[in-house]
Amino acid sequence: MSRTVSRTAPVWISLLIGLLWLNAGTGISGQQGQPSTKNGEWPHYTADLQGTRYSPLDQINASNFNRLEVAWRFKTDNLGPFPEYKLEGTPLMVKGVLYTTGGTRRSVIALDAKTGELIWSHSYREGKRAANSPRQLSGRGVSYWTDGKGDERVIYVTTGYRLIELNAKTGAIIPSFGTDGVVDLKMGVYKGIKEQIDLEAGEIGVHSTPTVVRDMIIVGSAMREGATVSTHNNTKGLVRAFDARTGKQLWRFNTIPMPGEFGNETWQDDSWVVNGNVGVWNQITVDEELGLVYLPVETPTSDYYGGHRPGNNLFAESIVAVDLKTGQRKWHYQLVHHPLWNYDMPAPPMLADINVNGRPIKALAQLTKQAWVYVLNRETGEPVWPIEERPVPQSDVPGERSARTQPHVTKPPAYARNILRVPDDLIDFTPELRAKALEQIKRYRVADTPFNPPMLGDLRGMLGAIVPATATNWPGGAYDPELHIVFAPAGNTFGSRTIVAPPPGFSDIRYVSGIAGRPFQEVLGPGDCCAADAGRRDREAPPPPAGGRGAGANANIAPSGADGGGLNPGGLPIVKPPYGLLAAIDLDRGELLWQTPHGDTPDNIRTHAALKGIDIPKTGQVGTSGVGLMVTRTLAVMGDPQITAPPGRPRGAMLRAYDKKTGQQVGAVLMPAIQSGIPMTYMVDGKQYIIVAVSGGNYSGEYLAFTLPANEK
Amino acid sequence: MSLWLLIGTVAIGQTVWDGVYTEAQATRGEATYNERCSACHGTELEGGDMTPGLTTGMFTSNWNELTVGDLFERIRITMPLDNPSSLSRQQVADVVAFLLKANKWPAGESELPRETFALKEIKILSLKP
Repeated sequence: MSRTVSRTAPVWISLLIGLLWLNAGTGISGQQGQPSTKNGEWPHYTADLQGTRYSPLDQINASNFNRLEVAWRFKTDNLGPFPEYKLEGTPLMVKGVLYTTGGTRRSVIALDAKTGELIWSHSYREGKRAANSPRQLSGRGVSYWTDGKGDERVIYVTTGYRLIELNAKTGAIIPSFGTDGVVDLKMGVYKGIKEQIDLEAGEIGVHSTPTVVRDMIIVGSAMREGATVSTHNNTKGLVRAFDARTGKQLWRFNTIPMPGEFGNETWQDDSWVVNGNVGVWNQITVDEELGLVYLPVETPTSDYYGGHRPGNNLFAESIVAVDLKTGQRKWHYQLVHHPLWNYDMPAPPMLADINVNGRPIKALAQLTKQAWVYVLNRETGEPVWPIEERPVPQSDVPGERSARTQPHVTKPPAYARNILRVPDDLIDFTPELRAKALEQIKRYRVADTPFNPPMLGDLRGMLGAIVPATATNWPGGAYDPELHIVFAPAGNTFGSRTIVAPPPGFSDIRYVSGIAGRPFQEVLGPGDCCAADAGRRDREAPPPPAGGRGAGANANIAPSGADGGGLNPGGLPIVKPPYGLLAAIDLDRGELLWQTPHGDTPDNIRTHAALKGIDIPKTGQVGTSGVGLMVTRTLAVMGDPQITAPPGRPRGAMLRAYDKKTGQQVGAVLMPAIQSGIPMTYMVDGKQYIIVAVSGGNYSGEYLAFTLPANEK
Repeated sequence: MSLWLLIGTVAIGQTVWDGVYTEAQATRGEATYNERCSACHGTELEGGDMTPGLTTGMFTSNWNELTVGDLFERIRITMPLDNPSSLSRQQVADVVAFLLKANKWPAGESELPRETFALKEIKILSLKP
C-alpha cells in the first residue's frame, strides 16, 4: 500500500502543478474553465488546436510500456443496424468522460473514462439523405465546447452533413442551437453558379471533426472519391464558421473563388463555373494569437485529368490561412499547381514554434502524400527553407495543359521515397526477382520527380506513370513541441497512374482512372456505399464484364497478375523494403533524424517460397500511410496497419512505442486487430490510459483502453 | 440426429488445404461474386483504395489461423455493404468457395456446408501444414 502511494506521489504533484499553472491563466489553451492536455485531458481530435497530437503525460514510458494491459473494451457493433469494420474515431477526454463516434450510423457516445461504461448515446436517423452521403460510417469523432461555467456541449457532423450540438452531460440535443439543435450544412452549398445542391441527394459530407475555437465552430467539406466521377460540375468545396451557442453562420470561405474573389482567374476560360470539389476534408488548425485559421485544401474535380479546368486552380492543393474573425484570405501557398495526382492535403497543418539558426519562427508543417514536409512561416506563408519552382514533365494526354513548373521542397529531405530510382530501388532479394522487376518496370514511365503526369495506359503497351503510392494519408502525423520534432508515418512504395476514356454515358469528363483493354471499373471510396440506411448509389454500376473476371482498372493500385504486367514480381512489392516506416524530422535543423520500418514483416513475405534461406530484414508494412500516431512526453505510439502471426506470439497487430530521439522500439503490446483510428491518451484519478480504435478483417469496431497494472503506476 | 449428419460432412481438424469445396461450387460463387461483390472488391479481387483485396498476402494475413466460419460470418452479416444479409447461406458458402479457389487452396469432392458451426471446424492456414 505504502509502495503504491509513494509511486503515485510524483504523479499527483505533477497534476497539482498542472492545475496551478492552469489557474494562473497563462497560455491560451489554459483559459479558465477550458479543458487542456496540460490537465491530462484530450479536448480536441488532434489533442489541441495546433494539430500536434501531443500530450505531456509520462506515466506510461519506455520502462513499462510492455506491461500495459487492457483496462476495458467498448464494442461498437450495435451502434447501427450492422457492425462496422472501419472504426476510425479518436475520442476526446474532458473531466473524466470520453466522447466519440462509432457504428455504421455514426452514433455519438459518452463513456466513463475509467471503466468504459456507457453514459449516454445519441443517433440521428436521416434515411435516404444519409444513404446518399459520400462520407459514410462512424467518422473520426466529435468536438467539445464549454463556456467554462457549466454549459458543456458535444458537437458533430452527421453522415448526411448536419451539424448537431448535444448536452455533454445527457446527450440531449441543444434545442437553442440552429433549428431544434441542428444546422443543415447542405444549405448554402453550391454547384455551378450558386446553384443550391439538393438537400437529400446533393453530394457533400465530412469525416473530420469540426474545429472549436473560442465560441466558434469551423466545419469543412468532402465529396466522393475523385478517380471515376460522373461529372466535373461537382459540388463546390467550402469552409464555414458558426456561433457555438446559436449555430448562426459567422463566415464562409469559398475554396473555389467566385468572380471578384482572389484567385478566380486561375480557373481559365471561366472553368470555375463547371468544376467542383476542392473540399477541406481533414482537420483545420488555428493559431489563436495570430488570429489565423489554416485550411488544408484538397484536389479539384477530377483527380487525374484537368482538361476541363485549365489554369492553376486555386485554392486546390493549397494551405490557405484565413482570418479567424472574418474568414478572409490572409495568405495561401499552393503545393501543387493544376493538380493531376490527387496530392491533396492529407493531414492537418501542424503548428510548430521552431528555432532556425537562432531565429524563432512561428512555423507550420504540412505532411503530404508525396513524402515532403512543407515547412512554412505561418504568419506570412513564406517557406522556411527554399521551395523551388522546377520544370516538370508535361502531360501528353489530349486536352490536358499541365503546369510547366511545380514547387519542389529542398529541405527537409523527403521522409519516404517519392522518386523511384531504377534499378537501385528495385527488389534485390534474389537475382531472379531483380530481373523480373526490371522486366516489369519497362512497361511503366518513370520520372525523376514526384510530378510524373498520368498517362493513357494500354494493356497492349505502356501501363502507367510511376508515382509514390501515398506516403502520408488521412491520419497525418504528430509534433513534439518540446523537442521540435515532427513524426511522419509513411508508405514507402510506388503505384501507377493511368487514365482512359470512360464508357459511353458514364461521365462528362474526357478521361477517368482506368486502362485501355480492361473492363472499366468505378473506383469507390470507404463510405461511397454503405450507410446504416443502405440504399446506396443512385447510379447503377456498369455491368460486369462478359465472360467473368477481367483485371481491375483502379489507377490507385498497380495492375496485378503476371499477364497484365504489374508492380509485384513474384507477388512481392517491386521495391526494396522498408515498405512502410515512421520518420522523425528535426524542424529546427530541417533534417531527417531517423526512419524506422513500421510493422513486422508480413507473413506472406516472411514465408515466401522464393525467399527461403534469405535473411529478410524487418520490412515494415505497406499500409503505414493509413495509421497515425500520438506523442507523449516520453514516447511516440503507433499501431500496425496489418495483421501478422510471427513465431513467438499470437496473430494480431502490435501497438508500438518508439523512443522519440532514436526511433528505437522500446515496447509493444498485442491488439486483436489492426489500428484503425489514431491513438490518444489521458489521465484520470492518477492513472494514464491509451485508447485506440481497432477493426478490420474479421474484427468489428472496438475502442480498446490500455493502462498499467494497478501496482505498476 | 441432424447434428450428427452435419458434423459428418466435415471432419474435425480440417484445413483449407484439404479440398473442402468443389469446382462447381466455386464457379457458382464466381457468378455471385461478379454480380454482388466485384464493384467494390474488384473484378480481379484486387480491392480498391479503401476496400480490402481478397487475394494475396493482405487477405491471407487477415484470415490466417482463423476459420472458414469466421470468414463466412463476416460476409453473411455485413456484405454486401450496400445491402447486408441479402445473400442466402448457400450464396455466401459459394462465394467463400470462390475465394478459397482464388487463393489457390485446392478443390475437393464435397461442397462447403452452409452451417456456421461446421465451417468453424475448417481452419484457414496460409501455409500448407
